[in-house]
Amino acid sequence: MQKITNKLNSVIFMQNVGLRYDKGPEILSDIKMSLKKGSFHFLTGKSGAGKTSLLSMMYLAQKPTRGSVSVFGQNVNFANRDNLAMLRRKIGVVFQDFRLIDHLTAFDNVALPLRISGMDEREVKQRVNEMLEWVGLSRNINSITSTLSGGEQQRVAIARAVINRPELLLADEPTGNVDNDIAFKLMNLFVELNKLGTTVVIATHSEKLISEFNYPRLHLQNKGLRIYYPKDDTGLEKEDEKD
Amino acid sequence: MKKTKSKKRNKNEISLKGDSSGLFLEVMISIAVFLFAITLAGVLAINSMLSNWSDSILGALTVQIMPVNNIDQGKALEETLVHQNKTMEYLLNVEGVEDVKPLEEKQLQKLLQPWLGDSVDLNQLPIPRLLDVKLNKNAKIDFMGLSEKISEISSQASLDSHKLWLSKLIGFADGLRNLALVALSLVFAITSGAIVYATQTSLGLHRYVINILHIMGAKDTYIAKQFSRRTGVIAFIGGALGVAFAIPTIFMISKLSEAIEGGIISEAHLTEYSWAAIASIPVFYTMIAMVTAYYTVKRTLEKTM
Ligand SMILES: Nc1ncnc2c1ncn2[C@@H]1O[C@H](COP(=O)(O)OP(=O)(O)OP(=O)(O)O)[C@@H](O)[C@H]1O
Ligand SMILES: [Mg+2]
Repeated sequence: MQKITNKLNSVIFMQNVGLRYDKGPEILSDIKMSLKKGSFHFLTGKSGAGKTSLLSMMYLAQKPTRGSVSVFGQNVNFANRDNLAMLRRKIGVVFQDFRLIDHLTAFDNVALPLRISGMDEREVKQRVNEMLEWVGLSRNINSITSTLSGGEQQRVAIARAVINRPELLLADEPTGNVDNDIAFKLMNLFVELNKLGTTVVIATHSEKLISEFNYPRLHLQNKGLRIYYPKDDTGLEKEDEKD
Repeated sequence: MKKTKSKKRNKNEISLKGDSSGLFLEVMISIAVFLFAITLAGVLAINSMLSNWSDSILGALTVQIMPVNNIDQGKALEETLVHQNKTMEYLLNVEGVEDVKPLEEKQLQKLLQPWLGDSVDLNQLPIPRLLDVKLNKNAKIDFMGLSEKISEISSQASLDSHKLWLSKLIGFADGLRNLALVALSLVFAITSGAIVYATQTSLGLHRYVINILHIMGAKDTYIAKQFSRRTGVIAFIGGALGVAFAIPTIFMISKLSEAIEGGIISEAHLTEYSWAAIASIPVFYTMIAMVTAYYTVKRTLEKTM
């Protein structure tokens, strides 16, 4: 009973999840988690621990090899292709490697999620311009993405992830390529979104960011997941913890 | 101005322009359409020729009874008439034959007069007799078989050689047309296969962007439409090129065949409808290409997550 309510209330719900690539060994084993709507988590772990892999199941780029993953209450294993597409529209993703479309301008990259969801072109224009201005790229609106610097591309990637005001934001090392000032500004963007109700998961190596923002931490170690809560925060529910 | 620009870009997230599979397809389609157009012109020309010939071959035919050689003129005539009656009797029982009438002696003489002149007394000459055979319009008559049968019945009887020759030619043209139709379907099948292959190759080349579009929540139809549009443009350009080369070629062939004497091949002319059909091949190919690309994308993507 407890599990069922968990599943329905959770934005992300995983149970007994295992993931392997091809015929290799499991890189994630027996993952269990339940992320509540409006929560904010860091995702940590050594390089190669499986952070990107775990996120990729959350943004529905792959299904678990075993166990079940539910996103917005929908079990991924039972969703059809169009269901999955509709679920993905509620998710914003910042990729570790940006995954921008090189031959398009910054504007067109950021406009992508809006156009896919069929938004009117006039509104697309207004929202994209505002967004790019906010991340400090108003001068680069019509630049072809491949000509931008790493940090600029990262900001385009973030703008694209948040332009649709997603219900779930998944960011993989979103501040790895920008200066501290910009990193904090971008983190504050995520915090603002979170305050508006977006559930956020940010994978990062930066202890500085983690200590600066007091959020619980999903830590990957030995293929498993543990949750650590900030020392000064006691108001969190026990049921989220791994046994 | 700017707005239309960005709308245009919207359609090209998958940059299919610089795609080598697109060039392959364009060349492929232009060659296919060239062959298709010329073969189609052949089929249409044969059709018009066949309908002209068939009109003349249907309805009637003539059987010739050669006079029997005998020094005794009276006896010769008698024997010839025996052959004539035998043949008539047989013909009346052939399916599709409505009536058989021997040409009157006077008519025969009239027919021969221009060749022999007035001075010759026809009664003194052994004249071939002609049987006028009326056919049922809808009857399918095997002229070859009939010709053989008639010769069996009577050694003096033979089917009008022009008709026989025409019927052979019709059989040949008919076979040629069937062959051309097979060629048309082959060209068509190969082109469809090429479209499927090029689309799959292109999907592979653009996997990266397609993956991004999927993660942003694009449905397969969104991606399929982009491929469909692009393939349509390629097919139209390729098709237009193919037809542009085919039309003067067809025109030249038809001019050359008109120069052949005999008037038989000149009956194989192309009507305005035929030309219109040939000119609309690119449109036809464009539609086929768009539908094929669309469903190839959908089917291929369904195998991914
Ligand atoms: N597509 C793939 N095919 C095969 N193996 C993969 C694939 N992606 C990741 N792996 C393997 O899975 C393991 C986890 O990789 P993952 O990228 O999830 O780690 P990570 O925690 O994101 O690392 P980093 O901090 O360096 O980004 C690694 O051993 C990696 O080699
Ligand atoms: Mg990673």
